[in-house]
Amino acid sequence: MILGRKLYPKCLILIAIKTSIISILLFSASFSIADDSLLYNKLIKEIRCMVCQNQNISESEAPLAVDLRNKVKEMIAEGKSEIEIKEFMTKRYSSFILYEPPKTWQNLILWLGPFVFLIILSLFLYRKSQSK
Amino acid sequence: MRNSIFITIFLLFFAILAAGLYTNTKEIQSPLIGQQIPIFNLPNLNSGSTLTNKSLPNEPYLINVWASWCLECIKEHNYLKNIQNINIKIIGINYKDTRNDALGWLGIYGNPYQFSIFDENGSLGLEMGVYGVPETFIIDTNGVIIDKFVGALNENDIRTKIIPQMLNTNSNKN
Repeated sequence: MILGRKLYPKCLILIAIKTSIISILLFSASFSIADDSLLYNKLIKEIRCMVCQNQNISESEAPLAVDLRNKVKEMIAEGKSEIEIKEFMTKRYSSFILYEPPKTWQNLILWLGPFVFLIILSLFLYRKSQSK
Repeated sequence: MRNSIFITIFLLFFAILAAGLYTNTKEIQSPLIGQQIPIFNLPNLNSGSTLTNKSLPNEPYLINVWASWCLECIKEHNYLKNIQNINIKIIGINYKDTRNDALGWLGIYGNPYQFSIFDENGSLGLEMGVYGVPETFIIDTNGVIIDKFVGALNENDIRTKIIPQMLNTNSNKN
């Protein structure tokens, strides 16, 4: 009984340490896998299938879409970031391959146009209601 | 006065949208224009020997991406043979094909290529932004891509776009 009492807390501490180490390892491993698959699923929905147009590479079974999916998977496994992967794609296939057009000066009208239009329209309607 | 402002704004939007209607959305300017040909190390379709960037000609030439499964490629094939007859070199990239099919295809339709790079899994194609076979690239003396065409070439493309650009790069060399 005396021996058991002495050993018991030590064992408990050891077990606690071991399980916490294992759980940390498991957690970090699953975290990185979950992270990668999240990024993968995000990217394949944002990359356009160049052959089919208006389909992303997750929806398409065109050979090029399959190749691009594999390329995304490969690059994620290499530890490449989202920006690096998108840059790789646009360097080869132009920014058309991304569903979201890049925020450049050329695309300014695309991003701001609707808001400008809305402001003008509301101004117009406001003035019209005032004059009445 | 106020009305004229709104009318000009309306016309501006109208013009932008109208222009959008008439632009060809299928034609995508390649970001590779002005870039060097990507580094590759792939087998020769015929001999199986290794081809690298050093195997490419030191003069302006065309790169044509083709495959035996590509029906459009048959359309432009005779024009490619005509180009070859006026001493313009064409390098083939056999894209995502099997060797037997590709060699059989060249046997039937003729071989206008100096040699064909056997890109079985499409890795070089991916590096070159290939998405619609056939594709044709114009390459200058320094190995820089100066233009790219997607889809089958016709006689008009060759006469008005390809040959003038090839002659231009030639004269720049001299």
